[in-house]
Amino acid sequence: MADKAAARESLFALRETIARLEGKTLPTSVQAGDSRETGGFAQHQGAIGQCDRLPLGIPVLDEAMQGGLPLAGLTEIRNGETRDAGAATGFVLALGALCQAARSPGDNAPILWIGQTSASAEAGLPYPPGLRSYGAEIRGLLMAAPRKVQDALWIAEAALASPVFAAIVLEVRGNPDCFGLSESRRLHLRARASKIPLLLLRQAGEEEASSAFFRLNITPAPARARHLPDGSMLGGSIGNPVFHVTAEKSRTITPVGILIEWNVHDRRFHPVEPALQSGIRSALPVAGVSASAGRSSGADPLGRVVAFERAS
Amino acid sequence: MNAMRIAAMDTFAERQGLKRGQGIAEARALCPGIDVVPADPGADQAFLEALADWCDRYTPLVALDGKNGLFLDITGCAHLFGGEKSLLEDVLLRLTRLGVEAWGAITSTPGLSWASARFGSETIIAAEDAERVLVGLPMAALRLERVTIETLERVGLKTVGDILQAPRAPLARRFGSQLLQRLDQALGLEDEPLSPRMPVASLSQERRLAEPIQGEDDIMGLTLQLAGGLKSRLAERGEGGREFELALFRVDGRVFRIAAGTSAPLREPDRICALFRERLQAVHDDLDAGFGFEILRLSVMKTERHDAVQADFSGSKDRNRPLSAFMDRVVARFGPDSLLMPVLVESHVPERASLYLSLQDADRRKPPKLQPEAYVRSARPLRLFSHPELVEAVVAGIPDGAPAGFRWRRIAYRIARSEGPERLEAEWWVDGETAPARDYFRVEDDTGRRFWLFRRGLYGQQAVMPQWFLHGIFA
Repeated sequence: MADKAAARESLFALRETIARLEGKTLPTSVQAGDSRETGGFAQHQGAIGQCDRLPLGIPVLDEAMQGGLPLAGLTEIRNGETRDAGAATGFVLALGALCQAARSPGDNAPILWIGQTSASAEAGLPYPPGLRSYGAEIRGLLMAAPRKVQDALWIAEAALASPVFAAIVLEVRGNPDCFGLSESRRLHLRARASKIPLLLLRQAGEEEASSAFFRLNITPAPARARHLPDGSMLGGSIGNPVFHVTAEKSRTITPVGILIEWNVHDRRFHPVEPALQSGIRSALPVAGVSASAGRSSGADPLGRVVAFERAS
Repeated sequence: MNAMRIAAMDTFAERQGLKRGQGIAEARALCPGIDVVPADPGADQAFLEALADWCDRYTPLVALDGKNGLFLDITGCAHLFGGEKSLLEDVLLRLTRLGVEAWGAITSTPGLSWASARFGSETIIAAEDAERVLVGLPMAALRLERVTIETLERVGLKTVGDILQAPRAPLARRFGSQLLQRLDQALGLEDEPLSPRMPVASLSQERRLAEPIQGEDDIMGLTLQLAGGLKSRLAERGEGGREFELALFRVDGRVFRIAAGTSAPLREPDRICALFRERLQAVHDDLDAGFGFEILRLSVMKTERHDAVQADFSGSKDRNRPLSAFMDRVVARFGPDSLLMPVLVESHVPERASLYLSLQDADRRKPPKLQPEAYVRSARPLRLFSHPELVEAVVAGIPDGAPAGFRWRRIAYRIARSEGPERLEAEWWVDGETAPARDYFRVEDDTGRRFWLFRRGLYGQQAVMPQWFLHGIFA
């Protein structure tokens, strides 16, 4: 009886340590008095749950990301095909502009865009007049143009060494071999240490396990129409861009797809109710099961492997 | 018939009685044991330049003299080597060890040194002895043209002493002004400046090692020490360095120079050292340590005013230092084109309206005075292709209707909504007067992808149908 209780106690303590390392909070956790017991692992100053988050203005997404975009660490944003690159780029640049806006007014920290040359050859380079008409006024945009993925990773690490930038965007194409779990973990730890948001923009890449806090998949969605002065919408016009965001890796269970509108004039995100967007048919039917939570990569598609127990 | 002739020979051959210009066959007959090597003027020149590089260890002011000589200006350097005599002995001894037969002389003018090294017997001549030494030298010691020398010989003026005391005006009239100019240069009455091969550094700190080093860590440790030595001297002048050069002298005579530039004036030794660590990584393959380096020299090629920055309580001014440290590291490792800044240009052609320039070029440009937009312009795409991509099978209304479908990169798209056209005329002052106008359309397909298409040219105006291109993608 006693050793059962002792075993339960140590199990609970172990669970709590793991949760603290991963930054989660257990649903019913009685906080132990001495929070320094980490079983030999070094403890960063303040757990992850307490570090700054940038709320995006969309309740569902903010809840899925536990408060908003983490301002110290790696977040991965992926788009499935090169022709959808505009949507993911827009989302990332909007995040960058919000990160810069969240800083104190006198602090003009620049934003670094590390664009590997093959990525910019396929999808083009960010266009500053376009940034202006998009409403993402980024001051001090610095662009690095390395040729190889290793060079891009080196530059990202060098940039994370000092707290200079408001945000760093690392654009890679596909799933290169040299950028695996260990390299992403290294960048994640560096970003956490220097408190800089590192946004990984994976263009035309597959889902891959990485050390990011969250992975979001962005696909394009039809834009809202333009507003007329009397409040109605001008049919047939293309107004504020709308994105379809899927949280592929998150701590909580989220709906499969959220539609977000970026308001160019207000410079913030707005949620879009799906009922207003009549006639949207996404390419894939809505899955019967909601996305998995707490995993590092998505669930396997249904119906691939069926194993029966051996009939004895 | 072309015979092979002697272009150059060594002392031993000369002693055998061979002359320049003599045929090889005749020379072989006179002296059967000669070794004949084809002349290679390019290689000779490269070798001379390598020797000039090697002489950098004595003084930075080294100039080439013709095809087989070097001038070194050692004003103020001689005491570092224990006096002029030991400097000259050291140079000649090391050159002999390198396999080069050399003669040298130290005097107060280049002309006299030239004369004394080739035709004279004394090697170190004080300024007041110039005339005495010149008296006995032949006329060729004055670096005159062959024609002039022959004319002088015909008249009977064979040594320099013959013209030293002669009246100057008739000499100038008869033989040209070059004769007197050379004489004055040799005597020191006229200045002859040397133009050094490499730019001379403002400050330099060097270390000569008794034992040569090879490892990168040793090189970096020494560089840190040298940078520490430079720091106080730069601080005295109130300056910081913008361009640095690390010269590594190998034991066999080869010299490697590694240059590094910074974006802001720099004095701190660890940052200078970090800069060179990145550069060494970048040039790792070209640097062959061989048997080791015996001299290391860190020089500052370009300086700039750099006042000591007081630590600010607000800390806001300190933003620039880590940013420039980051930029220096990346530029040192990957070259100046690896970091770019967008610059807006006054142009309505989209691909010219904004450029990405490297940091140095962006510094040099003045920011353009962009007028506030006088007209409402339609939206610009978020990503622009560097070259517009051709799209095919465009179905559009004529003459200026929006497209209803197109094929791009072998995929067909159906357009649901579009905005446009926005007509942008070409810049006739750049592209010429016949360059076609472009009609830009912002289109969205049925899934929600938004593109920026344009049609180049107008229907009906040209013989060929106008083409459609995709220039950018929107968010």
